[in-house]
Amino acid sequence: MGVRRRSGAFILQVNPILCDGFGHCAELAPELVKTDEWGYPILKSDPVPLADAGTYESARYAERGCPRQALHIHRISEKKPH
Amino acid sequence: MIALTTPYLWYTTRATGIVALILFTMVVSLGTLVANRIGGTIVGRFEINELHRSLSMVALTFLAIHILTTVMDSYVPTGLISAFVPMTSDFKRVGVAIGAVAFDLILAVWISSLLKLRIANTSWRFIHWFSWLGFTTALVHAYMTGTDSRTGIGLVLVATCGAVVAAAALWRFFGRPTRAAGRTALSPLATSKDPVRATSDAPRPFPVSQRPTRERGRR
Amino acid sequence: MIDPHSLPRLMHATSERPLTLAQHETAFASTSPVTSLLEELEASGLTGRGGAGFPTGRKARLLREQRGHNKFMVVNAMEGEPASHKDQTLLSANPHLVLDGAEYLASIIGANNIAVCVARDNPSVVNHMTRALHERTRRSLRGPKLELHTPPWRYVAGEESALVHWLDDNESLPQYRPNRPHILKIGHGPALVDNAETCANVGLIGRFGAQWYRSLGTADNPGSTLVSVTGAVGHPTVVEVELGTPLRAILDTAGADPDPQAVLLGGYGGSWLSASHLDAPYDNEALKPFGVSTGAGVIVVLPKNACGIVETQRVVRWMANESARQCGPCAFGLPALAEDLTHIAHPSRDPQGARQRLIERCAVIEGRGACRHPDGVIRFVRSALDVFAADFTEHVHGSVCNGSRSTKHFASVPSLEREEELVWE
Repeated sequence: MGVRRRSGAFILQVNPILCDGFGHCAELAPELVKTDEWGYPILKSDPVPLADAGTYESARYAERGCPRQALHIHRISEKKPH
Repeated sequence: MIALTTPYLWYTTRATGIVALILFTMVVSLGTLVANRIGGTIVGRFEINELHRSLSMVALTFLAIHILTTVMDSYVPTGLISAFVPMTSDFKRVGVAIGAVAFDLILAVWISSLLKLRIANTSWRFIHWFSWLGFTTALVHAYMTGTDSRTGIGLVLVATCGAVVAAAALWRFFGRPTRAAGRTALSPLATSKDPVRATSDAPRPFPVSQRPTRERGRR
Repeated sequence: MIDPHSLPRLMHATSERPLTLAQHETAFASTSPVTSLLEELEASGLTGRGGAGFPTGRKARLLREQRGHNKFMVVNAMEGEPASHKDQTLLSANPHLVLDGAEYLASIIGANNIAVCVARDNPSVVNHMTRALHERTRRSLRGPKLELHTPPWRYVAGEESALVHWLDDNESLPQYRPNRPHILKIGHGPALVDNAETCANVGLIGRFGAQWYRSLGTADNPGSTLVSVTGAVGHPTVVEVELGTPLRAILDTAGADPDPQAVLLGGYGGSWLSASHLDAPYDNEALKPFGVSTGAGVIVVLPKNACGIVETQRVVRWMANESARQCGPCAFGLPALAEDLTHIAHPSRDPQGARQRLIERCAVIEGRGACRHPDGVIRFVRSALDVFAADFTEHVHGSVCNGSRSTKHFASVPSLEREEELVWE
């Protein structure tokens, strides 16, 4: 199984209306998500390169593990400016 | 379908039925722990969620064996259809019918969870509420149909499972976690106490008095 | 033809009773009708009068390019800002100018429905609009279908996506729009939402053209606008002013306190401006260096004997209660800001910590709601921290000003429906 170097970056986005402050994302992807004093997520706004496989995996766990499916991984391709 | 008449099929039906009941009790309790935002310090909240999901698969496996062994056993005449459609069994018609209803509900919850990423979250939640009804129906089925459940340790077991889920239901619907429940161990003010309480579901929507009534609308 | 260099324009020929269709047609008769509406609209440089100030022509072009055969033109006359009365005044004076603009915009984007939205809590305005719509429908059955909708009045009910959500699904709840520009839809039809005063300005441009329109105002912010002046004035007034008029002149025309402490511009989601800057022109380009904008055309005048912190606290408390409570940071954050402000306005325990928390919480809440409601409140609070910095220092050190003991208030807020809503139970 070779490691394919992916280009581009991603950010984790949350739908604040669906989010109910369960906090699973902060546990699954602590490098991307911090919580405020009421338990709601503060997401890292800088794009993370896709080559950072560990962080990307955390993001996928967080996206899948959210009880309200409020999280979404947004891909940013290198060609288009964000 | 193989029709066998060994008593071991019958024993398997009873045993897997009991185990499935106990496992579903644990699954419902774990679900309540998830909804009430338990965890974050020693055990992670996502871990409780994962345990809830994994244990439900184990419970479903035992349920499947329970149903299959019942169908395969020709000592009692129940066809596969009786597992899904109520009132089609000649043996213990009402009891098995209730079991079929429970199975249908559990099946709906399971399938909706398999498709969770594809259906809208509100639809998934709506179907998931039926898990309470599914458990209650399964409990009634266990009491009515179970060979062991009327006396002795079987009765104690059924009663305990019922009590645990009833307590979980009371806690889920009437006990409200505090606002601190929103914070996990990772949030900056995780240790401070806040006397103001919050509901476990989304903060209250618009005041009811101003809730618009259905008017001449688009539909 | 109305003289291009004189005021009033929007309020031209108006009186106590609203203008009938015939009166409106006579007063606003034009000898040179406009041929290409969209080009004229873009050339005019008109920007939205609802608060965001987005170029109206660009918005119309975007909606025109959308595919969809059941498009909507939505006239937003909800006027969620309590300190704003301009839209009500306009609709009570000349609803037909607003409807003219709505029809022009509907023809630009190809809409066959026009939905006029007025808060149901204002029965006189609802009556005027009903009569005006009847007049127009009686005149001609062709053209887009005119409908009057009356959502209940809430602060966020006038937000674009909340209004569309009401029309689509009977709930005034703002929607999550991650990708801008996001086209709002009613059913399957794209919707263009414009403020009532914006539509009235479009009505003028459609009759008299972009060049006529640009004869007043500045190069970047052309035309005239309606301003609601409240607070330390004889009585709440709505004045029509040319964009670029110095603030002091506007206050003078409205009969406001000539020597105020500060003014609040834009609305309760806007910003305070110190009285030392009152010579600034009233237009967005000139006000940008001060960190303020014209917003929804609101000016609240704060006199010298009032306490800016108390006024801010009352407004933030009300704004927190007006949250739709859909998003955690807004639902919990805004009441927390109100609580901190209360501890500073009426210092009882640890006002120093409260001020620190206030600043930190503003940074934490910003940008994390689905709509811009919490951002507006944060902007308002930060401007108070800036303009009333001396007062904050005084309060934090325990010496309370005279203004905070007074019961007279200048930023009027409707009373909270149920007090306990603010405390999460």
